Amino acid sequence: METACHEPTIHPYFRHKDVYVLWCVYCDNELSDRTMKAILLADIKVDLYSTDLPPKPAVDVIGRYYTTDTCSCQIRDMACTKCGNPVGYHVVLPCANCLESCNNGHFWIFHQHTTKAIQRLNREGSNVLTWGAMEKELEAERSICYDSDDVCR
Amino acid sequence: MNFDTLNKDKVLDYTIHKWSSYSHNYVPENILANQPDRQSSRWSSETNNPPQFLILKLAEPAIACSITFGKYEKTHVCNLRKFKVLASLEEQNFVEILQGGLKNDSNPETFTLKHTIHGQPFPCRFIKIVPLLTWGPSYNFSIWHVKLHGVNAPEVVQPCLHWYYKYREIQAIRLCLKHFRQHNYMEAFDALRKKTNILLEDPILSELHTALVHEGDFEKSEVIIKKLIADDIFRHYIHQNNYKPHWQPVTLKKTGSIVQKPGMRGGHQMCMDHVHNCIYLLGGWNGSEDLADFWVFSCKDSEWTCLSKNTKEDGGPSARSCHKMCIDCNDEKIYTLGRYLDASKRTHERVVNDFYVFDIKSNTWKLISPDVALVGGPQLIFDHQMCYDDESRSIFVFGGRVLTPNCGPRSGSISPSNRSDERSEFSGLYSYHVDTDTWHLLREDSGNAGPQDIRSRIGHSMLLDKKQRRLYIFGGQRSKEYINDFFYYDIGQNQVATLSDGTKKENGLPSGFTQRATINSESGEIYVLSGISKDREKREENMHNSFWVYVIRDNRWTCVYKNEPQSASSHANNFLNLSFEGLPNFAADKPSSSDMESGIRGPEPCPRYAHQLVYDFERNVHYMFGGNPGRTSQPKLRLDDFWSLHLSRLSKSDLLRKCRYVIRKQKFREIVSVNLVAALNYLQTTVSAAVDHDNKEQAADFRSLASTLFGDMEAFESNYPSGGQEATRLVYSNADDAYVERTELFDQLVKYFPEDMTQPSENLLDLIVL
Repeated sequence: METACHEPTIHPYFRHKDVYVLWCVYCDNELSDRTMKAILLADIKVDLYSTDLPPKPAVDVIGRYYTTDTCSCQIRDMACTKCGNPVGYHVVLPCANCLESCNNGHFWIFHQHTTKAIQRLNREGSNVLTWGAMEKELEAERSICYDSDDVCR
Repeated sequence: MNFDTLNKDKVLDYTIHKWSSYSHNYVPENILANQPDRQSSRWSSETNNPPQFLILKLAEPAIACSITFGKYEKTHVCNLRKFKVLASLEEQNFVEILQGGLKNDSNPETFTLKHTIHGQPFPCRFIKIVPLLTWGPSYNFSIWHVKLHGVNAPEVVQPCLHWYYKYREIQAIRLCLKHFRQHNYMEAFDALRKKTNILLEDPILSELHTALVHEGDFEKSEVIIKKLIADDIFRHYIHQNNYKPHWQPVTLKKTGSIVQKPGMRGGHQMCMDHVHNCIYLLGGWNGSEDLADFWVFSCKDSEWTCLSKNTKEDGGPSARSCHKMCIDCNDEKIYTLGRYLDASKRTHERVVNDFYVFDIKSNTWKLISPDVALVGGPQLIFDHQMCYDDESRSIFVFGGRVLTPNCGPRSGSISPSNRSDERSEFSGLYSYHVDTDTWHLLREDSGNAGPQDIRSRIGHSMLLDKKQRRLYIFGGQRSKEYINDFFYYDIGQNQVATLSDGTKKENGLPSGFTQRATINSESGEIYVLSGISKDREKREENMHNSFWVYVIRDNRWTCVYKNEPQSASSHANNFLNLSFEGLPNFAADKPSSSDMESGIRGPEPCPRYAHQLVYDFERNVHYMFGGNPGRTSQPKLRLDDFWSLHLSRLSKSDLLRKCRYVIRKQKFREIVSVNLVAALNYLQTTVSAAVDHDNKEQAADFRSLASTLFGDMEAFESNYPSGGQEATRLVYSNADDAYVERTELFDQLVKYFPEDMTQPSENLLDLIVL
């Protein structure tokens, strides 16, 4: 799996990556508007989408904790809350190996075959949004907030 | 035609009639098809906010006898963990015909539907399915497939329809009769009754009505009531009445200057010998160490006798706590099994489940087995449950945490894989046959419960119903999970039957893990005294006692009383009155403001856990000893208080007095307006004689009657059950004031009668909607 330089700002390697919006393939429920196309470290043939923030309430974890043959991360499946179908998994406790390899710090992983993905555009709609650009947009939003806070005094 | 012998498996065709919502393409019609391999072949609601429902319309009126739910080929979080099914003929007045839940698996499940009313099969046209709970809490409700079975043959359904229409008509006529009589339209009443020949109520009630309401013959009314009570007609009402608890510290007999009694402890064991009317007490934990003393309390002499200062030295069990004990009163034998061991003491030599018996007649201990685990019994356990069954001469042992050498109780941490090779952390259900000295494992612990499986646990209650030969099991916990289910194990059938799976809150079963429970097999009642949480964080909010009664026949829990939780400060300051002489501890709680009981209760024990409660069903008295009051500032403090608890409920004579009082009160009311002197005289003699002067509420009511002599009519107004006279004063009515009042009195008395004798409880007026 692909996980963890879990800093507030994203690792430079991932900044150029596109942001994808995901929908549930079964019921069209929007699952997340900030995912990254990723590959499974253990099996590079498997395409995945991952996100850093818990995509609740669109999805929720289901079933028991388990581990796979490829690593010892403790994981739980997650399902779309609208239709209940499993759409991915959540890494509850990453293993040491995965933490050491280069990863994106995302613990919420969506399967490709259970989701529909479309690249997200930037605010102006002029270009595909990248993770780096999204961070900047959010920062700009935050500073707008501060400004408006300043007014209220 | 005998309905019972008919084939009830005919598939009933239906269409989807109405629905609350659906999401995406999970349309309601999907439930018509059974396609377990297609996840999309289902109805799924748009939200999980109730009320969600589907209404199915049958192709023709039919008697719906069972419902089958098809499922997806895999487990699914949207499966219905809890649902209701209702039925009706005209799409209104739905009657509940099932409450059930599906397992989260791929197997179709079939449920029997209630399809008779008053023993008569009833036809329906509409079936309403109401999902209540999904397996994944935040998920929408899904139903994959529904199939209905029953009888739709016209030759069967037609007569049922006729019955149904006739039943409705009769009820309508009875409502009219009630209305006419209430408003004194007696010509209309008599005409309708004569024409239809329908009885409004049992003739004895009509007789009472004539005497009380029409004739105002209060003396005759009293005579009728008295006879009815003597004939036990009000039995049902009396049984529905709650018990009142009376706690009393047990006063010990003094012999010389020293009173012999067991010291402070928790985690001890007690058992009741109802034949010889005495209580045995063994061991426990005094806050610092395990105890090995053994006592008997004679209830007749109110005296403790120490049978052994140290049972180990007398050939019995070593000092212990959290063990269990049971008694065979006929053979006069006491058995004890299990114990808790500190982690530091869990060596291979010590982790053995030794099993002892005490022979009461010879006053001797005997070691039955040094370790029952080696002969097919449970491993060393604590906080299990144990019952002796006279009929099979067997001991049943269920649950408890298994202790293993050195590594302590197996950790309850999350294990990612479900390793079935490992032995369970909780012990299963075992039986021990006394005569052959053999153990049998009846049920292994099953974490994932199938219908015949049992989830093992600690801190639960297990009670033997000697009459039906069932083990009732409820409460307890598994690691951090508190279990709320309630089921019984049928000894003869080796079958498990669930009474409540614990998902339904309204059922009333107090969730608990330090509760103490007893049973009266004869009256078919289970009693539960709640305990406080062992968990310090949870404790403050749980700081109260409550006492519950479960009526087996009615499958009904009622709370007999509950005291208000103590605030933290009052708890610290004066909650526990423990003196050096070891006087009883009590919390003189204010009675609850709820409707549990009126009047002020006396002292009662402070909330606690690790205490013991035993019950003498012959004399209907409970005894409680010791326990841990859970004081954060004094973690080593244990209790040595000893209490008796008597449960009393409304008696026939109480009820007679109550009836007499309300009847005489009405007569007084009528005299007041005519002759004040006669009224005063009547009040002082006849009414006063019917008052229970110990009942504060009634005594106060009685005193307020006197004020009406001086023109204060409020005393009357406030005491009528309808809450205000205005509501029942009618514009179009042939009834005068006295008639209206007497009618209200009559309706009040009617409540004591069983429903099948009385006029309908509904009123015609209540059917009018603006």
